[in-house]
Amino acid sequence: MIAADRIYNVPSKEPRSLLAGVLALLVHIVFIAVLIFGFNWKDEHPESMIVDIWQNLPQPVPQPAIKQTAPPAPPEQQSRPVSEPKPEPRPKAESKPQQPKPAPTPIQASPPPPKKPEIEIKDKVEKPKPVQKEPQPDLEAQRKKAQEQEAREKAEADRLLREQEEQKKRELEAQKKREQEEQRKREMEAQKKREQEEQKKREIEAQQKREQEEKARLEAQQAAARAQVASEIGKYKAMILAKIKSRIVMPPDLPGNPVTEFNVTLLPGGDILDVRLRKSSGYPAFDSAVERAILLSKPLPLPPDPALFNEFRNLHVTVHYLE
Amino acid sequence: MNATVTQDLSLFHLISSASVFVQLVMLALLLASLMSWWYIFRKWFLLREAVKQSDEFEDNFWRGADLNVLYQRAIGSRYTSSSMERIFVAGFGEFSKHKPGANADMMMDSIRRAMQATYQREMDRLESHLPFLATVGSVSPYIGLLGTVWGIMNSFRSLSSITQATIAHVAPGIAEALIATAMGLFAAIPAVIAYNRYVSDTEKLATRFESFMEELSNVLQRRVPTNQE
Repeated sequence: MIAADRIYNVPSKEPRSLLAGVLALLVHIVFIAVLIFGFNWKDEHPESMIVDIWQNLPQPVPQPAIKQTAPPAPPEQQSRPVSEPKPEPRPKAESKPQQPKPAPTPIQASPPPPKKPEIEIKDKVEKPKPVQKEPQPDLEAQRKKAQEQEAREKAEADRLLREQEEQKKRELEAQKKREQEEQRKREMEAQKKREQEEQKKREIEAQQKREQEEKARLEAQQAAARAQVASEIGKYKAMILAKIKSRIVMPPDLPGNPVTEFNVTLLPGGDILDVRLRKSSGYPAFDSAVERAILLSKPLPLPPDPALFNEFRNLHVTVHYLE
Repeated sequence: MNATVTQDLSLFHLISSASVFVQLVMLALLLASLMSWWYIFRKWFLLREAVKQSDEFEDNFWRGADLNVLYQRAIGSRYTSSSMERIFVAGFGEFSKHKPGANADMMMDSIRRAMQATYQREMDRLESHLPFLATVGSVSPYIGLLGTVWGIMNSFRSLSSITQATIAHVAPGIAEALIATAMGLFAAIPAVIAYNRYVSDTEKLATRFESFMEELSNVLQRRVPTNQE
């Protein structure tokens, strides 16, 4: 009877306990996966902050780019002046000599008219000679009448002839001398023209030289101004670094020479808007010490010229542990 | 601030770099969570099955089926029978054991006692492991908090040796310590929800069983005089 009672009280099998265990494990796997994804998301979130840094990084990147472009710019401009003046003077030298050449030709064309009158004068001078010769036949007819007179006249004629010949010779010599003189004058004039042209050329060259010198002076002044600006920027950057370094309380006994890099965003006046770790040294203590030093050292020294502030808007601060 | 970015903050790194005590706490919490979820699913299946079987049995019973047939079928499937079926088997078995001419009041008392005993046993089975869920739900947050407090204590203690304290020194310790709290809460919240749900479910089943017991004893009592006659 008791055993018969017992029959009815056999505990029933619990349904699907194994499935329950599998489901429990599944729930935990899902939870851990969510946790990992959550932590991965957190890991990515700083990357999106790095993306923020990327937004800043393009600014730092242009910064060096500006710095790089700015320094190269002077050499380019220096090279330009070197190269540009050369092409410029050449066309000038080529064109100006060409312009002077046509100018001399009309001058050479104008001199001939004066020569013609000179020739006319010669003709006029020569004309009196036949006039003097005409009387000579008259004298010879008289000589036929009077031989004595003829002899005398012949002697006189000879003398006259001789004199005429001598005169002709003299005139010829004079003409030659005149021609020579004219040639000399022409040569002189040509020389003068040449000299004038040369002078003009020299003047042009001198002007070009002056212009080049002026350009060189301007470039030198600009370069000097740039050098001043660059030196001022460098000076203030050194001052900023020095001020930051003076505030760093270095953590003791770090192995090696770790380097930490920060991107510092400045406000006009030297206030610090933002400090971002760009590259960790691997030692959080060192990173944080530098970060605190940067924050402590505000206001940072800035050049009084507000135009230079753009160079300091995004500073890239690199600090070495051993220095 | 950003120094922590460069550090490995992955879950495994945080757990593996935690102190031994915190790791033990986290292990205990993980086990508790696993157990509680296991019981949550087991009880869920059990109670769903119990409700379904009770519905089916009550349908058969009130459709006017022959009590003897029901009894034989229940005996044949006694390892998979439902709680309500077992109560019926206990009551009807006790009723059928009595010889004709016995005292009706004594007979009804013994039938009630048999059904009551089965009812207690079945309720005990349905309510099993619910105290475990209650314990996990109430205690695991405290265990997690203990691990967190311990981890934060350690991280602050290690901070004392550093001259320059930054949040970067404290953050990893606190993060790994807070994992313990998270695990405690993860174990506790479902346990509490499941406990409340299952307690109300078993109470509903208990009232159904009690009312069925009353109704079955009425049916059997009506049959007693016919046996005497």
